[in-house]
Amino acid sequence: MNASPATDRRPEKSSTRTRSAKDFDTLYRDHVDLMYRFAHRLCGEAETAKDLVQETFLNAYRGLDRFRGDAQISTWLYTIASRACLRMRRKRKGAPERELSLEEFIPTSDGEFRLQIPIDGLSPEAALHNKQLREALNTAINQLPKKYKMVLVLRDMEGVSAKEVGTIMGLNERAVKSRLHRARLFVRRQLSARGLGEPLTDHDHTPVRKRRSASHGTREHL
Amino acid sequence: MARGNTSKRQRPSAPTQRKQAHGKAHCLRILRQLSAYIDDEISGDICDEIRRHLGACPNCETFVTSLRQTVSLCRHSPSPTLSAASRALMRKKILETTGTR
Repeated sequence: MNASPATDRRPEKSSTRTRSAKDFDTLYRDHVDLMYRFAHRLCGEAETAKDLVQETFLNAYRGLDRFRGDAQISTWLYTIASRACLRMRRKRKGAPERELSLEEFIPTSDGEFRLQIPIDGLSPEAALHNKQLREALNTAINQLPKKYKMVLVLRDMEGVSAKEVGTIMGLNERAVKSRLHRARLFVRRQLSARGLGEPLTDHDHTPVRKRRSASHGTREHL
Repeated sequence: MARGNTSKRQRPSAPTQRKQAHGKAHCLRILRQLSAYIDDEISGDICDEIRRHLGACPNCETFVTSLRQTVSLCRHSPSPTLSAASRALMRKKILETTGTR
């Protein structure tokens, strides 16, 4: 999840003032993987994610002596990355920015209520061995408008608390939770709708149902 | 929906009535709170009410299961990883940029 507490401390004050390469190296070494994971999940592909990571650390390097240490470094970096991502969004084509209304996710029929995610009783880990499901999940997340995607990625993928997400995105907790709920409903709908007519197969075209019988101890209450 | 099930048992040939008795307003109120319910952020009384509703309403029960599965899939989604070469190259580019600007 987040960087470990041992690595999430503010660098020595005297060092930050000098912006020494050593300080930057420590910051980069301890957090680059975290930031890349976040960036990749936001951008959906490697090259754009690398651009975002570079932009993030460049801005962090320039702002290191202004970092007051009243937040975790990871929170500070997430904030920088989120802002950089929103700036990038304006330059790149992506999912259209729009508000997701709760009403659009309200089922209008019993059938819609009962849409299911096509994981067929597998644990999430086992289900995600299926390439089609992974791609469907990534596609659904990438189709989210960015401000909803950020909340979902931070909360449900990075494991950041709602309060911390609020700090990162400049929102109150209520707004974070509202966006998170809509984002989850969106992804649920995309995944379950996809499952209606397209039985999932893995990379060697073995139906999930057959793989299920071959897997041991993978069932888990979700 | 709980009432819908009851009415189904009593009058299986009345789908319209069943739909009306579906308790939609109640279901919709529950649906609005399902993320908070999944995240254990709901206070005792309301939580009990939701639990009772889910126990009696197959539609909402299925809905919450699929929402839980969605969250669970997100949480277990594989982490993208960076190669050592990419890590080093990015560091070099950042330091070059800071040195030249």
